[in-house]
Amino acid sequence: MSMSTADEISTLLTANFGTDPVAIRPDVPLRQLRLDSLALEELRLLIEDRLDVDLDDVQLTSRDTVGQLVDAVQRKAVA
Amino acid sequence: MTAPYRLPPFAAAVTGVGLVTSAGVGAEATWRALNDPATAPCVPHRDELQGLPCDFMYSVTGLDTRAVLGVAAHRLMDRFSHLAVIAAREAVADAGLDPAVWDSGRVAVVIGSAHGGLPFYDEQHIALTERGARRVSPKLAPLAVVNGAASSVATDLGARGPSQAVSTACSSGTVAIGTAHQMLRTGACDIVVAGGAESVCSRLLIASACRLKAVSTRIDDPRAACRPFDTHRDGFVIGEGAGLLVMERPEHARARGAAVRAHVAGYGSSSDAYSAVAPDPDGLGIERALRTALADAGIAAADIGHVNAHGTSTVSNDLIETVMLRRVLGEHPLVTSTKAMTGHTLGAAGGIETALTVLALQHQLVPPTANLDAPDPDIPVDVVSKEARPAALAAAVKTSLGFGGHNAALVLTR
Repeated sequence: MSMSTADEISTLLTANFGTDPVAIRPDVPLRQLRLDSLALEELRLLIEDRLDVDLDDVQLTSRDTVGQLVDAVQRKAVA
Repeated sequence: MTAPYRLPPFAAAVTGVGLVTSAGVGAEATWRALNDPATAPCVPHRDELQGLPCDFMYSVTGLDTRAVLGVAAHRLMDRFSHLAVIAAREAVADAGLDPAVWDSGRVAVVIGSAHGGLPFYDEQHIALTERGARRVSPKLAPLAVVNGAASSVATDLGARGPSQAVSTACSSGTVAIGTAHQMLRTGACDIVVAGGAESVCSRLLIASACRLKAVSTRIDDPRAACRPFDTHRDGFVIGEGAGLLVMERPEHARARGAAVRAHVAGYGSSSDAYSAVAPDPDGLGIERALRTALADAGIAAADIGHVNAHGTSTVSNDLIETVMLRRVLGEHPLVTSTKAMTGHTLGAAGGIETALTVLALQHQLVPPTANLDAPDPDIPVDVVSKEARPAALAAAVKTSLGFGGHNAALVLTR
């Protein structure tokens, strides 16, 4: 069974940014996970490679929540 | 002509040493391997260098930088900064300092590097040309810069005094320590973490060094490829690593009862103003740096018992440098080149080799120049080979020469 988008992003955050998996919840802002602008751009590339999506026109800020990020990626994945 | 203006002598206390080298991870492991070259780790060929006339380098092995630093910190540093931070932590612990309680605004960081994160540039240039601009990592610009190690160490330690990088090619680490000596002397800080860091497993750089005929092409026997002062030397071997000292104003070290390993007593630097690559054929530039360092320390040539030479294993450097050493210091100092074991770590070399000079003074022992099987009869100094040599050492010298004619020398005392 393939992983859900949320699980994929959670795995990327844990493996590449050392994020505590328990802290990764849909309502948590990305900045609370210590993802600054540099980390967000790095994460964008990682998600694109892992899920084969193009997030070029997706606006990402550290004020966005994990849930908003997952939704944006899912929208691109089905587009 | 009037005599040059000089400040009164100033001896900075060296209270901590940190080393990460291909010979060993940690100061003790490196020192042990240097004094027993038979125990040196093997030298693996590197996939990144496959097909080049030189497809190996002296790499740091047995160190999981990600495990040591943690995922979050690791991703925000280039490899040369990883090595610097690990060496800095060792040096600070060795000095008995606790960053949680020190006066952080009085702690400086000065780290030399010649190339910064060059392999990352290599990798990202491939990403750019093969996959387009959108696939270039945003981390390249902030992390691969030459000051990356200095900023990473300052951040990791919480050192909030002056923090800077020095880049003078292969003398960068020595110039960094000289700069630290001057900063302590002026009172700009009480403590400096200083030295050099480099990690350049770069296909681009090594291809260029091969074309320059500067590196050894002894690919059938990499461990024996770097052989300073040997008749059959044919170039240097690039190494990676970091060597850092904790240096303090002497009264600061005294006030906290710190154990002092040695002192940095004098510093001199100069430019050949001669060539982008070749040293001044008469060694006049490095001679100026060395004479300045001796005068700065107020130490006579006769008192220098040991020289950790630049000793790159190139035909020209080793001859020019040792002829100069004989001319300035005489025939008595025990000379060694530790590059035979560590490789030429470029901007890190001066940091690593000054740390090893500190250990030589502390242990009263000069490590051998490994691989010196057939000493070049034209080398006019007493090179220690085969076995470490015990000696009563009051003072020692570290010399460094960099591409572009950047020369530097340090005088160290017990």
